[in-house]
Amino acid sequence: MKIQFKSLIVAIAVVTSVQAYGQYRDHATLSRDLNDLARSYPTISELTSLVKTEGGKDIWLLTIGTGNKHEKPGIAVFGGVEGNHLLGIEMAAGFAEHLLRDSETQEVRDLLSNVTFYVFPNVSPDASQQYFADLRYDRKWNARPVEANRANRGEGVPFSDLNGDGYITMMRVEHPAGTHVPSRDDPRVMVRADLARGERGLYLMFPEGAESNNGGRPAENIEGGVNFNNNWSFNYQEFGRHAGPHAVSEPETEAVAEFLFDHFNIYAVFAFGPQDNLAQPMRSGERRAGTREITSILRTDETINRLVSSRYREVTGVRGTPVTTNVSGNFMEWAYFHYGRYSFSTPGWWFPQERGANSEVAFLKYAEESGRNDIFVPWQEVNHPDFPERKVEVGGIKPFVMTNPPAEMVSGIVESNYRFVKEVAGMHPDLQFIDIEVDNVGSDIYRLTLSVHNRGFFATIAEIGAPNQFVRLPRITLELARGQEILSGDRVQQLGRIEGTRSREFIWLIRGRGNIDIRTGDINTGVINTTVNIR
Amino acid sequence: MKIIVKSIVLIATIALLLPVASNAQRPSPELFFKAAGSPVNPKLQVSWNRYHSYDGIVDFCERLERKHPNLVTLTSVGKSYEGRDMILLTITEKGDTEHQHKPGYYVNANIHAAEIQGSEMAMYMAWYLTEMYAEGNVFIRELLRDKTIYIMPTINPDGRENFLWEPNTGSSPRGGMVPRDNDRDGLFDEDGFADLNNDGVITQMRRRNPDGDWKTDPNDPRRMIRVAPGEQGEWELLGREGQIDEDGDGRADEDRVGMYDPNRDWGYNWRPNYVQSGASQFPFALPESRAVRDFGFEHMNIAGVQLYHNTGGMILRGPSVQGGGSEVYSREDNMVLDRIGRIGERMIPGYRLLTIWSDLYTVWGGEYDWWHGAMGAYVYCNELWTGYLMFNEPGRGDQYEFDRLLLFEDAFIPWEEVDHPVFGKVEVGGFNKNFGRIHPGFLFESDAHRNTAFCLLHAYHTPQVKVDDIEIEDIGGGLRRVTATITNDRMMPTHSGQNLRYNIDPPNYIYLDGGEVIAGFIVNERNHLGNDFEQRHNPQRMEVRNISGQSSVKVRWIVSSGNRFTVRVESVKGGRDSKEVR
Repeated sequence: MKIQFKSLIVAIAVVTSVQAYGQYRDHATLSRDLNDLARSYPTISELTSLVKTEGGKDIWLLTIGTGNKHEKPGIAVFGGVEGNHLLGIEMAAGFAEHLLRDSETQEVRDLLSNVTFYVFPNVSPDASQQYFADLRYDRKWNARPVEANRANRGEGVPFSDLNGDGYITMMRVEHPAGTHVPSRDDPRVMVRADLARGERGLYLMFPEGAESNNGGRPAENIEGGVNFNNNWSFNYQEFGRHAGPHAVSEPETEAVAEFLFDHFNIYAVFAFGPQDNLAQPMRSGERRAGTREITSILRTDETINRLVSSRYREVTGVRGTPVTTNVSGNFMEWAYFHYGRYSFSTPGWWFPQERGANSEVAFLKYAEESGRNDIFVPWQEVNHPDFPERKVEVGGIKPFVMTNPPAEMVSGIVESNYRFVKEVAGMHPDLQFIDIEVDNVGSDIYRLTLSVHNRGFFATIAEIGAPNQFVRLPRITLELARGQEILSGDRVQQLGRIEGTRSREFIWLIRGRGNIDIRTGDINTGVINTTVNIR
Repeated sequence: MKIIVKSIVLIATIALLLPVASNAQRPSPELFFKAAGSPVNPKLQVSWNRYHSYDGIVDFCERLERKHPNLVTLTSVGKSYEGRDMILLTITEKGDTEHQHKPGYYVNANIHAAEIQGSEMAMYMAWYLTEMYAEGNVFIRELLRDKTIYIMPTINPDGRENFLWEPNTGSSPRGGMVPRDNDRDGLFDEDGFADLNNDGVITQMRRRNPDGDWKTDPNDPRRMIRVAPGEQGEWELLGREGQIDEDGDGRADEDRVGMYDPNRDWGYNWRPNYVQSGASQFPFALPESRAVRDFGFEHMNIAGVQLYHNTGGMILRGPSVQGGGSEVYSREDNMVLDRIGRIGERMIPGYRLLTIWSDLYTVWGGEYDWWHGAMGAYVYCNELWTGYLMFNEPGRGDQYEFDRLLLFEDAFIPWEEVDHPVFGKVEVGGFNKNFGRIHPGFLFESDAHRNTAFCLLHAYHTPQVKVDDIEIEDIGGGLRRVTATITNDRMMPTHSGQNLRYNIDPPNYIYLDGGEVIAGFIVNERNHLGNDFEQRHNPQRMEVRNISGQSSVKVRWIVSSGNRFTVRVESVKGGRDSKEVR
């Protein structure tokens, strides 16, 4: 009889979870969809597996472009930057799906003749799979059980689901030396007792877990593994939690880094992940500068960030700003500061929250106002072997719900963010020759003057890319006709950084007549040619 | 038919090799009389007054392993970019104890391609250890019984070969052979030096020019000296041999092979190229440093590290950046590094103990920081060769005088006229690439020995845990109190400050086997209140976070049964020991 009762509960749990977690795709489904998608658009898309994770999952890369696609300016789009952000995976995959579906439109055809897209739908597949597992918890780390804190390797205890609801939430233990109390704003939320306000703690707080066999210390999350979004070299925290044994240590981060650095044509990175510089652009001078280190966005890049941010608000219609912190070793800042490219990131969705306010209280308030159910596990008493004499309860906000919107909102977010990226892609650097003049200065000597104009909004390279050895510097090159020679000016020279809507003048003194072929730009800006006939 | 021909060739080859093989036998012992401190008639005869190519290093290591199979194991830890094996000599007395269970000492060299003498010094150490062991030297025997010495003679074999056989200066290349687009134009390594006189060396270029500010030294035609104010010049100096703009971009020799720094590629305190020039795209981007990293993670027993570089006569210690970045240097760490380093200054005349960031320059992402910061080892980086050694005088020494008096001008390539495509007639000449930064042959062995002796001092002082003394007391009620003293009589603690701060290694584990353990304590004898630390969890395996250098800890158990007890200690960097009592 008891057994039957249990199965009934399990059955109910499964049904509700399908309803609540319908729209997001697990790794197998996404892999199948991406393969189908690439097969449906074989001439303009190509699906490759960059590497397999420790968990045996492919890091997919969908390349979308036409012609010599690696020879034109590229944009990289990332999802799954942090494993519990399922929405980002849908935004990146959905971007590719929309773009390919629209690929017959004139707008997208024109775009693809100038820009190539590299879409990485999910760079945290080991972690995001936890959303679809029998035991759900907010997981951000991969399946490689390496920790900088190597002494603790393999000595911990995993979570356990004490109340059998399929979620790892929190555990509170009534205790005279407790540290937490129910919040005054929402008693479901536990907050640290404030000694300054004369509060006494009533509860000890732990993640949901059973007896640990680790020396009387209660269970804690000791699972190894590395978070993609903590493993990058900018502001990397040595020995940080889930940061890895060193920066860029993981198969997936290393493969992504190698791919990005090998593709000199990529000039901008869009990450759908926890960092935000679209609702709220980065500010120059926001961090104290080191001696040679650049730690805040540079001024002209800030201008572009502000432009892109305002387009973001216009196109997506979002309001407010997400409360985010730039965690150490995050991908978005790395792509800017260490990769030297334009870098943009948005979580795509957030709930209204004031900076400094308790985020759980804010979330529950938002959930109530928007009629969102199935987001909280009410505190429920359990028997706990570690605390036989004490009242132990399990409960709290369910994993994933604070970082991911309800399923029915996903398609709208995906669509508006697709339109946004598409529009920003149109702002790529775009070179043209203007003001070409030849002056005959006599004695078969001619002065050739021209300007290279960037009619795009993005600079030929981001200002942060200027000192970075791994950013290509376009040249301007003259090919002279037989018998011609340059009396003054270099035949090959650096184009220099040309900001959007600006131009730069070049002058040569040439002796002799004939056609001069002039070429400028490179794979990160687009290449243009012209021929000047001196006769 | 073919097979027959082959076997004939084979027999002929064997016949040819045989006399060589017998020549390689040790000469008759009555031919020699022992000099103090050196093997009198080594199994492996080596001339320590020349340098080995990569193949020469491999050959040396193979022969050393064959001569000393009881001590030496030769393996490869990975492949270089061009596919050469990254070779490792593991040297220890092969017995019941696995090499990873002894405190480890690690030496590598030649991370910078042109800094080749570190390889020879590392090989000298391998040779000296094995030959002196074979001769029965007591110190070396104990050292190889207690410790494992890991030696990688070159961790940049590609760069080494390029330095030796391609036209280079005495400092080029710095890196390995991974292509790098230094001038960022989409072409890789397309604009290098030019060996105008085809002698395999890049020297200096001078051009006759009465407006120049240089003249020939009247006392030494090899030497160029600056003209005095008002004096007529004779030459202009045009820089390094080359200065040809191969890629036509208006700049010469700006995208050469190996123009990067493998010693800025390490995943600790790493910074990108625009902060730390020479750095790669991300930490451990190079196959060679990755191979060393993987080796390191598998050999956490390594407690002491020497990284051989050149040049300048320095025993370098960290920190490499002001404040240490994310590194910790505890008081004990500083004491250990300074004490061993100061002794080193006496052992190696002309060498000074210096701190990298304050005495030299800031280095981000250096190998030093990785071994210290990520692995918790005590590290030195010796900058081999100093001008002091030319005349045993402080200062840089006069290279021309030294070359003339002691090398008979073997190190100088005489000035020679060649045609330069841009400058016209120029003269090319100067010191050979084998002089200036690497040792002249006759001075090598003495300096190699001194540096080796310093390394062996360093290796000796890696921590060594021992179960010293066990007392058993009957305390009634069928209970006994077992107290064990665990010592570490070397200078280094089992755990450096960095190790303790970040839990790099587990604590030292001290086990009591053979009884039912009721309780376990770490005894604090200095505290007369008897306030011992009780370890409630699993007292059969006591956890001692650190055993300082030249000190001991006491652990105590209350035991309810058994009368034969074994106390075992396991320390990742301090080795293992056990003792049984009744």
